[in-house]
Amino acid sequence: MSAPSFAPAILKRQWLSKWFAPFAKWYVNAAGYRQLGLRADDILSEENDVVQLALKRLPAKEAYDRSYRLRRAFQCSVSHQLLPKEEWTKDEEDTPYLQSIVEQIEAEMKEREDLEAMIVTKRAAHKAEGH
Amino acid sequence: MLSRSSACRGAARSVCQKAVRPAQRRGLAAPASGSFLYQNGEAKGVKFASRDLAGPTATLALVSKAGSRYQPLPGLSEALAFYAFRNTEKRSTLRIIRESELLGSELKAFHTRENLVLEAKFLRDDLPYFVELLAEVASKSKFEHHTYNEEVLPLIHFAHQRFLADPKDMAINSAHALAFHKGLGNATASSSTIPYTQYLNPSVIEGFSKTAFAKPNVAVVANGADQAELQRWVGEFFDTLPAQPLEEMSVASEQSKYHGGEERIAHARGNAMVIAFPGSSSATGKFYKPEIAVLGSLLGGDSAIKWSPGFTILGNTKASPSTKVHTTSSMYSDAGLLYTTITGEARNVAATAQAVVDAIKKIAGGEISKEQIHKARAAAKFKELEYGQQIEAGLELTGAGLIHGSKPYQIDEVAKAIDGVSEEAIKNAAKSLLETRASVSAVGDLWVLPYAEDLGLKV
Repeated sequence: MSAPSFAPAILKRQWLSKWFAPFAKWYVNAAGYRQLGLRADDILSEENDVVQLALKRLPAKEAYDRSYRLRRAFQCSVSHQLLPKEEWTKDEEDTPYLQSIVEQIEAEMKEREDLEAMIVTKRAAHKAEGH
Repeated sequence: MLSRSSACRGAARSVCQKAVRPAQRRGLAAPASGSFLYQNGEAKGVKFASRDLAGPTATLALVSKAGSRYQPLPGLSEALAFYAFRNTEKRSTLRIIRESELLGSELKAFHTRENLVLEAKFLRDDLPYFVELLAEVASKSKFEHHTYNEEVLPLIHFAHQRFLADPKDMAINSAHALAFHKGLGNATASSSTIPYTQYLNPSVIEGFSKTAFAKPNVAVVANGADQAELQRWVGEFFDTLPAQPLEEMSVASEQSKYHGGEERIAHARGNAMVIAFPGSSSATGKFYKPEIAVLGSLLGGDSAIKWSPGFTILGNTKASPSTKVHTTSSMYSDAGLLYTTITGEARNVAATAQAVVDAIKKIAGGEISKEQIHKARAAAKFKELEYGQQIEAGLELTGAGLIHGSKPYQIDEVAKAIDGVSEEAIKNAAKSLLETRASVSAVGDLWVLPYAEDLGLKV
């Protein structure tokens, strides 16, 4: 599920994003998932209906790659090792492949909620006619 | 003395009367603008027809030349029908449903052998909204993978299972396949899982939609809409449709050819037999033979009156009252099929199949009384008129007529043609049935159901 984040606000302001970039880079590396060959979307919390549905909507190839990366990471984790440096996730590989689907599903759910909460008013033309 | 409550009631009633009046725009006796005839026209390359029937509701249909006959791959037409009214570039599935519910309307999408129909029934004032909606569905649908997997695929699968469980449906489809092979013979539902596991995917369906909803392949037909108003809105919204089809439907556009033959399918759920002969094309087509409709109602099988077998030959000669017999004259744009469907217990179905052949021989031999032929002619005319008058059937027939020959289906002409059928014509039609190859399909207990040759038919 998408958590609240300052990222969009920062990215919108060029001077601010330039200022934050080195810190962000350091933080992502320090988080350690890239050393296990994972992407940021692989460690998205999946214990909820929205992400479960998003996972079902992944294209077959993406789903396969995801489970490969997760298995490899588990293997590394239990053997207390990191991947060789050339297999670490590179900056350009770390794309939000799941986040976009999650956002789409959240938009669908929000639309449903909005429609449920809708207040129906009569059209002016019909009101005048009395039906 | 006037009590307060009664005064109030009178006031309420007068308000009600005022409210009803605008809905009834015309008195009962006054004709609507013209008659039952359709007025047709063209707006920005899209053909349309309308008849301005009096009444507060209207029906609008987008008829597309994309039925199972024209599908380049199996199951495409069905899948495209199930994809209708789903997510578009402007609106989501849910929004389309909720909005149409709020306007008090009914949306439907279905396919027949020749046509794919998107239909909306609504209150007269909402015409612009629904013209826009149909145009949007036809040109801006999003063919998303998850919609296919979550919503469309289960529906195709259910249709497949329903098809397999119904011997009658199987027999009718099998008879069509025998009669026309490809094209009109294509099954209307998947007979195995192969079409949707091996041929269909969202991008293929999207490609087909670009052909199916291209301007030359569609017609907009409305009941209860003003011609000028419809022209205006069709011109405004339907311009988004592709001007030319993505690929030409070359194979299916050829003249249908009748083949004939026999097929036997074992089935445990029931027994059905279809005996089919070449029939007549629709009235808007080139091979219209009104005597086939009269012959169909003479053979018949159904009763028009309760608690009586009716006047039809098969209604009287069927093996038992529980055996269901029905003769249909299916008319397509360039060919037709006259077929008798028999369902029931295997032994009765076998006996009734023999009765069908005997009946045709009797008609060909001229052993039918004048009175019976007169009854059959009247029944055929009534059936045709009643069918054409039904708004839905009229919409599809008119749309198909417009797409194929720029001619709407006019009931009055059809009725005249049926009236002119002579006794001799019926006799000759029956004779020609016995001379051509029949299409015979038996589904069910094959131990009991007879072969076509044993019935005395040529296959």
